[in-house]
Amino acid sequence: MAVNASAVQGPTLLENILITTKVEKVINWSRATSVWPMTFGLACCAIEMMAAGASRFDFDRLGAGIFRASPRQSDLMIVAGTVSYKMAPIIKQLYEQMPEPKWVIAMGACATSGGPFDSYHTIQGVDKIVPVDIFIPGCPPRPEALIHAFMKLQDKIMSGSMADRYRDVFEAVEG
Amino acid sequence: MTNEAQGRPDRAVEMPKTVPLPGLEAYRADQQACAAAEEAKWQKQLSDYEAAKAKAEAEGKDAPKAPVKPVAKPEGDLKAPVPTEAQDPDLLRLKDVFGEAVEEFFEQAGECTAQIARDRILEVLRFCRQDPSMRFEMLADETATHYPAASDFAFSVVYHLASLSRSKRLRLRVLLPEGFELESATQVHRGANWFEREIFDMFGIRFLNHPDLTRILCPEDWEAFPLRKEYPVAGLGQRDIDFREDRSGRLTRRAQEQAGHSAINLKIPTAD
Repeated sequence: MAVNASAVQGPTLLENILITTKVEKVINWSRATSVWPMTFGLACCAIEMMAAGASRFDFDRLGAGIFRASPRQSDLMIVAGTVSYKMAPIIKQLYEQMPEPKWVIAMGACATSGGPFDSYHTIQGVDKIVPVDIFIPGCPPRPEALIHAFMKLQDKIMSGSMADRYRDVFEAVEG
Repeated sequence: MTNEAQGRPDRAVEMPKTVPLPGLEAYRADQQACAAAEEAKWQKQLSDYEAAKAKAEAEGKDAPKAPVKPVAKPEGDLKAPVPTEAQDPDLLRLKDVFGEAVEEFFEQAGECTAQIARDRILEVLRFCRQDPSMRFEMLADETATHYPAASDFAFSVVYHLASLSRSKRLRLRVLLPEGFELESATQVHRGANWFEREIFDMFGIRFLNHPDLTRILCPEDWEAFPLRKEYPVAGLGQRDIDFREDRSGRLTRRAQEQAGHSAINLKIPTAD
């Protein structure tokens, strides 16, 4: 009887303590739930970004509450505001200082398309300088919009494949 | 420069309309011109009526209705402030002391404006600051305006003075032709430093004896002066720059260099 019980319970216990998954999925999960944004605001959208980080909206619930003061420690650049031509080289440099993997959210009308500043001095969308993952409309977007965008980014990170991300590296090694 | 090179092939660049320089003389001339035009219109109506009446009499018909002279409508509460004779003691004193150097002075909406001869401005600023009866200690703002349609000047530089001890404000302005180098107000008000750098950056007006006359808002290699009226809103080809072209990590402005723009433009505007 005792032998039979252990034979029944054995596999059940094992199922309770083991998860089978892929390495890629675990890595993606850990990345998506601890995205550290860079402390980087350019205009009024940054105020909404700060609100999103503060207690009322609490960005930290999603694992994105630790705004880092250095690009070297950041995973996410939220371009919150108007990008001028004078600022463009600095944004590009900050982006390049961030370690891989890294993501960019263009927050608000100005960062996505120049917004109302259809002028000589404003970059018509930050995607002219750096690759952008998520665009948020709004002038400025509410913190809810930023949180929604961040959740979309989490979906994107979860669905990301390392093979895709480093395809050119693999191809270079193989070829 | 074609429209395509300005990055907006769909939008023609046209010179914006400019308002005339505000002032008492200009206002009076404008009023007289308007009155003369009204009078001419009325005379035309009258002569038309006389002709029609004579024709009707000759043909034996009834005479046409006589025209009624239009009466000017009384202006409502939303009357635009008009320039008036100066009553302000500061303006009168300025005129007393500097005479011919004060080319024009008037009040409008309770604000005092004096137009100063461009080679005397430093003297006037110093007087306004130091004279015990004036005491305009603060240069609240210094800015400029471009008047491309004017014949004998191209820019006005405007000084907004404030007196904290007397709670008064005074506006001085000078008119400059293209290429004229104005004495820098930093010799009287040190705060004029950045104002004048901004004026240089936006209009290309150069100042004599300024400590550091370089661009302040635009990048150092910016072309031309953006607040001049002929400057297209979409810029002079800056939008052609594709920052994505450069994969090496360093951000170069290759497209701009290819388009033939030089690096730093600190050209002195010529007076032609």
